[in-house]
Amino acid sequence: MRMSTIQTTLLATAVCASAGVQVVLGSSTTSWLAPPEAPTNLVANDLPWDGGGTVQIDWTASATPEDQLKGYEILAHELSVTPQEQAVETDEQADRAAAQQTESLLEGEGIAPEDARRQAELSTPTFATPPEDVSEWDSLGIIPAVQTTYQATGLNKDGVYIFKIRAIGLEGEFSAPTAASGEIRPVAAFFNGRKLPLLITLALIAAAVFIFIVLARRGMPMRIRKIAGLEAVDEAVGRATEMGRSILYINGIQDMDDLQTVAGVTVLGHVAKTAAEYDAKIEVPTARSLVMTAARESVQSSYFSAGRPDAYNPDLIYYVTDEQFGFVAYVSGMMTREKPAACFYMGSFFAESLILAETGNSVGAIQIAGTANPSQLPFFVAACDYTLIGEEFFAASAYLSGQPDQLGSLKGQDVGKILVGIVIIIGVTLATLQAITGSDSLEAAVNYLVNVLLGS
Amino acid sequence: MAKAYTPGLKVSSRTTHLAHRILPISGEVKASLGDVVDAETVVAETFMDGDITPLNVANLIAAQPGDLPELMLKKEGERVEKDEPIARSKGMFGMFKTECKAPASGVLEAISKATGQIMIRGESIPVQVKAYLPGRVVEVLPEEGVVIENEVALIQGIFGVGGETSGTLVMACASHDEGLDADAIDGSMAGQIVVGGARMTAAAIRKAQEVGVAAIVSGGIDDSDLKAILGYDLGVAITGSEKIGLTLIVTEGFGEISMARRTYELLTSNAGRTASVNGATQIRAGVMRPEILIPLASDAKDGDSAQSSTDSGVLAIGTPIRVIRDPYFGSIGTVAALPEAPQVLGSGSKSRVLDVSLESGEVVTVPRANVELIEA
Amino acid sequence: MNDTQKIDTDAINVILATDCGSTTTKAIMIEKVDGVYRQTWRGEAPTTVEEPFANVTVGVLNALTEIQEVSGRRLIDDAGEIIRPATATEGCDIYISTSSAGGGLQMMVAGVVREMTAASAKRAALGAGAIVMDTIAANDKRRPHEQIQRIRELRPDMVLISGGTDGGDTKKVTEISEMIAPAKPRPRFGKSYELPIIFAGNDKARPEIERVFSDGGFDLKITDNLRPTLEQENLGPARDMIHDVFLEHVMAHAPGYDTLMSITDAPIMPTPGAVGDILQTIAKGRGINAVGVDIGGATTDVFSVFDGTFNRTVSANLGMSYSISNVCAEATMPTILRWVHLDMDEHELRNRVKNKMIRPTTIPQTMEALVFEQAVAREALRLAYIQHKAFATTLKGVQQQRTVGDTFTQQSGGETIVNNMKLDLLVASGGVLSHAPRMHQTAMLMIDAFEPEGITELAKDSIFMMPHLGVLASVHPKAAMEVFERDCLVYLGTCVAAKGIGKEGKNCFSWSLDGGTRGSGDIAFGRIEMIELGPDETAEIEVRPARGFDVGAGPGKPVTKMIRGGTVGLILDARGRALALPEERAECREAVTRTIDAIGLYPDLEGSAV
Repeated sequence: MRMSTIQTTLLATAVCASAGVQVVLGSSTTSWLAPPEAPTNLVANDLPWDGGGTVQIDWTASATPEDQLKGYEILAHELSVTPQEQAVETDEQADRAAAQQTESLLEGEGIAPEDARRQAELSTPTFATPPEDVSEWDSLGIIPAVQTTYQATGLNKDGVYIFKIRAIGLEGEFSAPTAASGEIRPVAAFFNGRKLPLLITLALIAAAVFIFIVLARRGMPMRIRKIAGLEAVDEAVGRATEMGRSILYINGIQDMDDLQTVAGVTVLGHVAKTAAEYDAKIEVPTARSLVMTAARESVQSSYFSAGRPDAYNPDLIYYVTDEQFGFVAYVSGMMTREKPAACFYMGSFFAESLILAETGNSVGAIQIAGTANPSQLPFFVAACDYTLIGEEFFAASAYLSGQPDQLGSLKGQDVGKILVGIVIIIGVTLATLQAITGSDSLEAAVNYLVNVLLGS
Repeated sequence: MAKAYTPGLKVSSRTTHLAHRILPISGEVKASLGDVVDAETVVAETFMDGDITPLNVANLIAAQPGDLPELMLKKEGERVEKDEPIARSKGMFGMFKTECKAPASGVLEAISKATGQIMIRGESIPVQVKAYLPGRVVEVLPEEGVVIENEVALIQGIFGVGGETSGTLVMACASHDEGLDADAIDGSMAGQIVVGGARMTAAAIRKAQEVGVAAIVSGGIDDSDLKAILGYDLGVAITGSEKIGLTLIVTEGFGEISMARRTYELLTSNAGRTASVNGATQIRAGVMRPEILIPLASDAKDGDSAQSSTDSGVLAIGTPIRVIRDPYFGSIGTVAALPEAPQVLGSGSKSRVLDVSLESGEVVTVPRANVELIEA
Repeated sequence: MNDTQKIDTDAINVILATDCGSTTTKAIMIEKVDGVYRQTWRGEAPTTVEEPFANVTVGVLNALTEIQEVSGRRLIDDAGEIIRPATATEGCDIYISTSSAGGGLQMMVAGVVREMTAASAKRAALGAGAIVMDTIAANDKRRPHEQIQRIRELRPDMVLISGGTDGGDTKKVTEISEMIAPAKPRPRFGKSYELPIIFAGNDKARPEIERVFSDGGFDLKITDNLRPTLEQENLGPARDMIHDVFLEHVMAHAPGYDTLMSITDAPIMPTPGAVGDILQTIAKGRGINAVGVDIGGATTDVFSVFDGTFNRTVSANLGMSYSISNVCAEATMPTILRWVHLDMDEHELRNRVKNKMIRPTTIPQTMEALVFEQAVAREALRLAYIQHKAFATTLKGVQQQRTVGDTFTQQSGGETIVNNMKLDLLVASGGVLSHAPRMHQTAMLMIDAFEPEGITELAKDSIFMMPHLGVLASVHPKAAMEVFERDCLVYLGTCVAAKGIGKEGKNCFSWSLDGGTRGSGDIAFGRIEMIELGPDETAEIEVRPARGFDVGAGPGKPVTKMIRGGTVGLILDARGRALALPEERAECREAVTRTIDAIGLYPDLEGSAV
């Protein structure tokens, strides 16, 4: 994907640069030699499956041999509409105009209302005649003589264009332009057929998710790999209970707009429920006020569902400070003083990860971390008892709830991952083979994969 | 050695039976020595400590456990009613006080300063022991219970379900090898003890449940029928507390099997008499088998009564026995020979065996472990 | 009980030991013959705990009298006392005993967290030879009133309470005690019996516990914490305390035990506790991992020693007579029938199972009945071993030390320590195993149920002598070891099994005995073979597993080891581990038949004698 983007950029730069050079050349030379033969059979079409603004132009090469040509110049002209229609500026006015036209059609010709409306819509606007002199036309650039096709880009989506093309001789002499092409409106397509593979992939994954949800609801057992970190929640909470100490839960230092914080709150709900069952104390200092509110909600509902509403104490879930290191200083200090028996770090962490985890380790706590920040994972893995790595962390809610819907969608997503894995393997294999053999067909396949399937 | 010890079930037309009627915990004995009691007479009674309801009041009113005694509205030993306030927090400036209500009625037994937990002891549960066997009280065990004696016809079953009950014996089958099916049960059998011949079917039991039969006694029952009636597969043979509306007793075992003729005849001869039955079976430590006790009129003594018990449990040539394992399961016969040396069985193991001449006239060899005496 | 005086182990020549079971009292005599201790004579008599005797010593003396008769050695004098010390022709030097009469030692245990202190309490109780009736914990998913109801229903001989690390939780453990105290579990022995409560929890909670149980009706004993920290389990003091209380209270209330206690030279031990002790002694002495199983009519005990850690479990309702119906219910009939290669009517079998339950003493007469009974035994043993594996775990709640290398393989606490690959010795005892008509059947029952991996020795306890030797180990370990090796165990042979699953018919492993001089070969996956190797023979075996199979050194790596023969010999098992029989009935039957033919399990299936 990334490679294709780079390629496109490079290509564009190259085109622009060469076009610039040509324009300078073109303007500085005079045409005194015999002009080359004009190209013929100019056909312009709106590029299908695009976002608009692009026209595909094809022609038959000039009779003059390629080596005697510098290239072809593409000329475009945006047709302007006739004055009375130009007056129609706003939508409202346009609507009114259309309505009037419909009405007149209805009255004057006595046709059915629906048909009248359609006819009014269809009635082609009349355009001003394009200038005869092609020098008044816009040059879209000069392209090498080997090409007989060109994509004119950057056009006005709502405009109507006509095109001409002329050959340029080695000395800069122009051939006569071709006849103007038909009127083309480079409209945006509703559907981009090139992205069809993506649509199919999406449909496959969606179907897989759907099927697995249905299967899960019908009671098909969905096996999920044991996630040691989540299995160990009971153990950590039990340890706190036996030792008569508290449980510390840090929900990351980001706000609720961070997906990891949300996942952290989900896990908090589970930890709090276990704590409620064991009657252990759970303390949640937060670095954001919104996180505090969310954490309170989550913990309270956990205590309710554990049948221990009486044991819920909102004062143990509190806001400390937004300041990264102010927060860390507070938490570390609290850990050394109160020596919690279990520490959870679930959310988005940065430089503070190791400070927290090392402090927790030094007070002898069972520590369970979960984050999707790759740079912090090694610290957590080394200093904590259990670590949920990226994806595991996000899968936690499905894993913990065991609800068929969530499990089913997790399984469905796995199908997606398998598909991606297969494409990667195929792509790598093809690219490697291509590099070794230099085969053109393989290169075409790789290009197809990169440009089409991965939707450049 | 032509004799060997082997277990057996008692089937006796007349024996003196002692029923020990003991309270689970000490209490009051209601009957006195020499009393003549009926099956339904309450002979001993006691009150078990009521159920305990624990409640962590300190948590509920958000107070420190140590402060709990002063926040309690009731003191230890006081009576509380359900939903009566029992504790109130101090609140803030005398406002926002939280109250805690009693979850159950009873006596406030304990208030813990360490955990903030209180215990409410519910009403005492009366426990009554009925006489079960009509007869005469021959011994009173102070604070524990009584021993009741009577002359009875005694039949031990091999397996039963359900507890103690009593009723009139009524025969539902024509012979000892006729199965007991639903059409043999009718409305007139309500409250009676129905005696069948061979296997009792699930349909018969269901019909009996509907009609209100007190108990069914028959030769056999099918495992799947028992499972259907109980609603679960019986794993361990400790029964007596099932709540299926009636008591079931099988005299021979599981499967299609006829009641031993002797047993059947004894029951037939006592048809119309009132019997006490108990289905409770316990095969581990302290074996307990289901029993049918038929109290006999004390005056009508006949010669059958003086069965000596010295021979019971000993195998000798001619002893009536029952084979209790496949391939001859359920066959009745007499001992034909008692070979001394162990023999190799079909299974390959070596065991002491005996020859049985079956009712059919056939003589077969079976391991001694696989027979039981039909005790007199 | 004269254990206070030091016993001079060298001067002991004659040892008498009894085991008072629920139904039988078994006595053995051990004598020093040519410098080594050998079990020489044995005797049996019915246990006399219940009426009309109500005195356990009567049965003990009867059993000893039987030895006296067969050995010709006078053991009991005219006053009915055991003659001590031994002379050349009469008496013995020491007399020891175990007991499981009257249902053994029944306990209730409690702890704070089920997987932590409560599990430790259960381990302590089981290790001491008790039957654990229930485990109460703060997180056992029962509401407090349900817990109280349960406590009231039980009639334990004693209660063990643990909870909190030293200096840790006080509140929860007090709360649990506060529930046990008013619930007043009724002891089995009479009303005058003060229920012993052993507290082995947080040392800081002791004053509170003392307050809770001060009301009377209890005899509170306090001992060291079972879990001083969560990282450490200290079962010794609690186990010793259980033994003390067992003697002091439980035994003292059983009929005749006061006399019995006064005549033994070592404290009486609960039978399973003694079996555990001998297994530990052997495992320690030989430096091996061992698993022992005792399958009875009602229960199945599994003992294991892995890397010096001892565990015992009692599967209360897995047995071959009283509990046989429960085995069938738990395992389900189709699972049992997969071991059967004959046609059997399932409905008929169900009735037979129930008939065995209500008439527990019967024995299989026909080969069909034996095949079925052994199929049930396989499942009972398999289920008991599963329960054992789930219980024998590393400690829970322990802080883990990690390196970055652990990123994708985070082992959690509470993993089972039972590892069949590391298992060296598998010992069978109990009716269905000891009394199987052919030793081959015993061996195959063990292999099918326990699925040993790698190279494992199989043995059976000849006459259930392990309890006696367990007590003996506490006073004379050397004698216990010698008798265990020479007389107690009957070596069945060695099982070589490859771990892994392969394709039917493809090579699983190649083997050669003594460099090929005594035989060698390849064995295909799905097959099993038996090689004769006599009881006193040893041989060096080299096993070269195919790729993907493991016989102890890792997948595909060869192993060379000295192995011991036995009455069965060497069994080469290439049926794969985990052992999976084909789902399809016909295929399954074929596979089982093949196994039966290869080992010669039921050679005279046609029926010869009766």
